[in-house]
Amino acid sequence: MTIELTINGEVRTVTADPRTALLDVLRDSCRLTGAKAVCREGFCGACTVLVDGEAVPSCLRPIGMLDGRSIVTIEGLAHFETPNPVQQAFIDHDVVQCGMCFPGMVMTLTAFLETNPAPSRGEVKAALSGNICRCTGYERIVDAVLSIQDMRKVSGR
Amino acid sequence: MNAVTDLASVVMDLPRRDAQDKLTGRTRYTIDNIGADMLHAVQVRSDVASARILEIDCSKALAMKGVRAIVTHADAPGLHGIGVADHPLFASDLIRYHGEPIAAIAADTLEIAHAAARAVLVRTELLPAVLTMAEALDEHAPLIHPDWQRYELLKEGAPRAGNVAWEAHVTRGDTDAAFARPDVTVVDDCFRVGRQSHVPFEPRCAIASYEDGRFHIQCSTQVPWTVRNVTAKVLGAAASRVRVTVPAVGGGFGLKFDCTIEPVAALLARKTGKTVSLCNSREEEFLSCLCRENAEVRIRSAVTPDGEIVGREATVLMDCGAYGGEQIFLSTMTAHTLGGNYRLGAVKLNSRAVYTNTPPNGAFRACNGVYNTFFLERHTDNICAAIGMDPMEFRKQNVLGDGDIGATGQVFQGDVLRPMLERMEAISAGAERRDPADGRLYGRATTVGTWFVFVGPSAATINLNADGSATLVTSGVEIGSGTMVQSLPQIVAGILGIHPADVIVKTADTDASGRDLGVGGGRTTVSIGSASKMAAEKIREQILEIASEMLQTPPSGLALRGGRVEIAGRPGSGMTIAAVVQRAEELFGPMSGTGNFTAPGVPSLPGCAAGHFIDAIDIPIFTVHDCEVAVDPDTGHVDVLSYRVVQDVGVAINPRAIRSQIQGGVTQGLGYALHENITIDEHGSMEQSGFEHYLLPLAQDVLPVEIVLHEGAPSIGPLGAKGAGEIPILNVGATIACAVARATGRPVAELPLTPPRVLEMIQGHAKALDFAHISPVWHANLARR
Repeated sequence: MTIELTINGEVRTVTADPRTALLDVLRDSCRLTGAKAVCREGFCGACTVLVDGEAVPSCLRPIGMLDGRSIVTIEGLAHFETPNPVQQAFIDHDVVQCGMCFPGMVMTLTAFLETNPAPSRGEVKAALSGNICRCTGYERIVDAVLSIQDMRKVSGR
Repeated sequence: MNAVTDLASVVMDLPRRDAQDKLTGRTRYTIDNIGADMLHAVQVRSDVASARILEIDCSKALAMKGVRAIVTHADAPGLHGIGVADHPLFASDLIRYHGEPIAAIAADTLEIAHAAARAVLVRTELLPAVLTMAEALDEHAPLIHPDWQRYELLKEGAPRAGNVAWEAHVTRGDTDAAFARPDVTVVDDCFRVGRQSHVPFEPRCAIASYEDGRFHIQCSTQVPWTVRNVTAKVLGAAASRVRVTVPAVGGGFGLKFDCTIEPVAALLARKTGKTVSLCNSREEEFLSCLCRENAEVRIRSAVTPDGEIVGREATVLMDCGAYGGEQIFLSTMTAHTLGGNYRLGAVKLNSRAVYTNTPPNGAFRACNGVYNTFFLERHTDNICAAIGMDPMEFRKQNVLGDGDIGATGQVFQGDVLRPMLERMEAISAGAERRDPADGRLYGRATTVGTWFVFVGPSAATINLNADGSATLVTSGVEIGSGTMVQSLPQIVAGILGIHPADVIVKTADTDASGRDLGVGGGRTTVSIGSASKMAAEKIREQILEIASEMLQTPPSGLALRGGRVEIAGRPGSGMTIAAVVQRAEELFGPMSGTGNFTAPGVPSLPGCAAGHFIDAIDIPIFTVHDCEVAVDPDTGHVDVLSYRVVQDVGVAINPRAIRSQIQGGVTQGLGYALHENITIDEHGSMEQSGFEHYLLPLAQDVLPVEIVLHEGAPSIGPLGAKGAGEIPILNVGATIACAVARATGRPVAELPLTPPRVLEMIQGHAKALDFAHISPVWHANLARR
């Protein structure tokens, strides 16, 4: 089956079994390895990407359902030298450890802050319930998110 | 010589240099380097726990289109292990656990490799499986290693017998006399814990090639030199024929402190002549996880009415699974954890590593210290209840202080634990009691813990570059803890008077850097840091010598700072380090320095430790934890209301990074204390194979840990530092358990404290633990009677 997707603004034609997970198309065919294959069951959130602006686990999205949709991965979110405010807050607060969960965290939180630019601590934690981190113990990630002042910059991509 | 480095030039909250790439998805872990331009391998694993292999028929699989090679035990006959070489790469005549590798296949695609794996025919004769330590210790139990007496011993002197892979003993003083004293209260306890799975987000994976007659393995490991040596051993190759390189590692937590799948990829690379990738699926990563082992203890103490511990005896059973592995080494650590924290009159400890037909266990952050601390601290609270003494007073009275001797007779230096307890007491006294007073049961506890830095050999080379930057070459790897991007460049930069950003840190390549024990055991900052410090000091000496001549000023009158050599007290004077390098190149060539480090060895009392890999701990680390909990009497749910840590850090080189390690370590400990649990089913397989059934702490499960870094305790580490990343998990199980016991008034004897278990306890249905397979007579548990 041939499917047309827009990935990070670029139209791509993918020929594959429609049951193929978007995650595998991204990692194997497009070599976009920022989305991480960790649990492959939708629990960990490390493979989160935006599909038409919605943060979803790409391991649970068969590409057969995505014809004509627009995908943004961590690679397409911002140029690496001009990180978005979520990424910048994580750099400034030095919250990264092994780093495997962070691309997914950034995708989830970027989408979240667009709809809720002034969240409470509890709301940030709730937004993160689908993104598991094994290293950090979360709290400093939440501190970093709450430090972001200018939410408009998050959605200004 | 001006070798003393101003701490202020080293200590800082240096941010990570790898954050930007990690946050933008650009960092390539080993798993991200697996691509279509290489072969893909899978392992054929056993689906039974115990069997004799009658035949392995690979012919059908090998005939499949796209299959490039299949390897079995015949291709890798060597045995490896820690202490005793008992572990083959692939099962040979016996299958000893569910999931044991039997063969491996390399094919053009992963799909073909999987299909071929299904086509491998393994004919077996089922044998009885020994799934628990109680069964393994039964006198009629089948031997899991019938050839145990013929194995090569890699370390002599430990008692072993049948299903007991290893024993480590401590015998100091006359415990019989202590327990016979008329004035003592004897407190006798049994405790038990299950397994904990690491769940690193990057599974174990390797990409191997065979180049110019040598293996090159790129892998996700904490121990490049172990991978090099074990690969050589099982493949029968010279170690010099193996090169290991390690990109960023997506989490380790001790799981990657062993060599596992790397030699398999290497073997297939040689057989096919092509690059081969091998990566555990998440299910395989769970089912073959070298977990923190399940363990059981019987411990008893003789305590005087005024709270002196005059005698202690304990027997710990550690489940190694089918092969000895790390548990053999870790049997040593019982002496310093279960036998730690407190002054003891007479003491006898027996730590038994027991074979079972279950997946092998391994090393997990603070290892057996985590459950031994749970055992010890709960036992301590039971002692306090039995003699009617306040637990905080008891601890303050009994913790090891300056000049006290530990279980193996080593003399501890400095009063550390008691001042830390007093700091915790002061913090807690000043904080509001968080009892919700909503019908839930409130409890609070403070516990103490002792762990160590796993010192040992490290090497470092520093090249001072023409631009005044420095390149640090070590076998360190960045597993996430930040040592490679924070403490190491900070130490080197501080000594050379340059900015840490100007210290290039090369990640492990065994062809470029000297031998190293690995990244784990809190040792990177200490061991690699010490070697790096020595290398930097040698360069510093050269810089000062040359600059002294150029500036006509004695070295003692010079200072290195801001990338310059200055005349002390005259900022902006002198010259750049780059100018000194230029002069050095004219005189004798480029400047470099090497450094090395190993465990200095601390004496213990002769004759009181047997079967131990280390008799004393070179760098003890202490910690004090405190928490408040609320327990729902209707559901058994435990809510953690506050969590506080006072941690001995020696000197905090990067305080912010240490706090991150503490927050993360405590969170992993909360998982262990409350819900993370690997169980073994009746077929010998783990029952949790994914995130659905193995519950990791989520953002909403955690709370901000209140942290005090306790500085000033003695340490041989660089500038007085200690490892800070391992110990944060040490006391969490213990502290939660003690708090829940106080909240409920029930004797908590098992972790994790899942709601059903807590409810059973509250309702009084929990049976008191007693182990028929651990005799109350200490001597009766020894392998050599």
